[in-house]
Amino acid sequence: MLVEALLIALWAGIVGIDLFNGLTHIHRPVVTGLVVGLILGDVTTGLIIGGTLELIWMGMVPLAGAQPPNVVIGGVIGTAFGIIIGQEPTVAVGVAIPFAVAVQGLITLFFTLFSPVMHKADQYALDANYKGIERINYLGLVILFVFYALIAFLPIFLGAEQAATYVESVPQWILDGLSVAGGIMPAIGFAMLLKIMMKTEYIMFFIIGFVLAAYLNLPILAIALIGLAIALYDFYTNKKGSNQGPREEEITDGI
Amino acid sequence: MESNAYQDLTPAEGLSGKQLRHLVWRSLLLQASFNYERMQAAGWLYSILPGLRHIHKNKKDLSTSMKEHMEFFNTHPFLVTFIMGVILAMEQNKEDRNAIRGIKIAMMGPLGGIGDALFYLTLLPITAGIGASLAIEGNIFGPIVFLILFNIIHFGVRFGLMGYGYRMGIKAVAKLKEGTKLVSRAASIVGLTVVGGLIATYVAFNVGYVWKSGEAELAIQTDVLDQIMPGLLPLAYTLLMYWLLKKGRSPITLIVLTVVVGLVGAYFGIL
Repeated sequence: MLVEALLIALWAGIVGIDLFNGLTHIHRPVVTGLVVGLILGDVTTGLIIGGTLELIWMGMVPLAGAQPPNVVIGGVIGTAFGIIIGQEPTVAVGVAIPFAVAVQGLITLFFTLFSPVMHKADQYALDANYKGIERINYLGLVILFVFYALIAFLPIFLGAEQAATYVESVPQWILDGLSVAGGIMPAIGFAMLLKIMMKTEYIMFFIIGFVLAAYLNLPILAIALIGLAIALYDFYTNKKGSNQGPREEEITDGI
Repeated sequence: MESNAYQDLTPAEGLSGKQLRHLVWRSLLLQASFNYERMQAAGWLYSILPGLRHIHKNKKDLSTSMKEHMEFFNTHPFLVTFIMGVILAMEQNKEDRNAIRGIKIAMMGPLGGIGDALFYLTLLPITAGIGASLAIEGNIFGPIVFLILFNIIHFGVRFGLMGYGYRMGIKAVAKLKEGTKLVSRAASIVGLTVVGGLIATYVAFNVGYVWKSGEAELAIQTDVLDQIMPGLLPLAYTLLMYWLLKKGRSPITLIVLTVVVGLVGAYFGIL
């Protein structure tokens, strides 16, 4: 089992990186099903479980920062247990989901803990140290690889039941709390943008954008277009004012 | 007041097709250093870095540019190459830095939304649906068909948009030569309108608590808060964060605070 577990861990590490970087989508369960099936010597079962898990995760995509149960670990653990235990695909799903939810909580934690590293990056940027910036990005990749490889290796190596008890020992409110915090987190990024961009003369446009989204539920593209319309009006009004008279304007437009 | 212009204002030599293609490959690591404080910022800087080094031979300018590209950034990872193209064209022409920032922020929000709709809600379900239906039959071509279909479009979009964005940026920059101040003002207007919309759309802050008294039920979120104003909590929380930042609190403090809010809220079943 050691060799198989190591190979599966290797695959989990690679596709764990692909989930956010590369995005060739080899991390989807339909692909993982085939690969884990090959490793464990049962391609057909792997394909069937992978396909089933794929359909379940189809609606669960990372929309705008809201993270669904982790598709990488869901696919890898689900397929591996399904083949090892010899259960129906639906049972494999039951095993996969709690793992996937727990791992997503850990990912939220990782995204939080990686924030302080950005201050190091600021310093590198100030020193125009491009190698430093590159190292920070490679560090992120290495951590993701090790993290996913470990998470996939341990439960397969230790056995399904043992691992399930560990996951269940984490109180639900901690998982919920991390997920709630993950939802609120974008507020900090937006506040940082406001700190950079906000001037008193621009507050009205901020209010317009907010009202369009909050009350009228307009998509962001529509809001950007309305912002663009206002900006164009503002631009040409001011330009006219500075050019003294419409005549010159007509001439420049003609050229 | 701080100057918003680069020291060396001579437009730089253009980027070759080969250089642009190299940057597209680097854009695959856009989210390598993803985190809640800056999201994709360091990965964004990583993606355009060889371009910036080509453009800014003046070390002070390179440092200024790199520092500003470490600011918060988040968009759809497939469409980012379009923004890269436009921004590199602006950098190459040594545009006003406020204008560069404004354009970058004005584009990242809408492209994020478009990308989600196009790729995660359309392309992925269609191609993965085809692949999964074959795989469930035990057909080994399921995953293969999925990967080929998905990635032809994926990489087509990435490479296509880089060149398109760059050419468009060069053209637009030439047109907007006069009045960079006005352009920068216009960019700030679009940027702030979008940020206002982003807060209402993407900050998920809801109270799940329902107040009960005998027969009467009062859902705090839908019956009270939404009646006062939809998006009240996201706006209030963002402004609180803004205020704390202005007070000099570090973003890390705010992140820890937010995690605590989430945990406490979940523990007491309020959020």
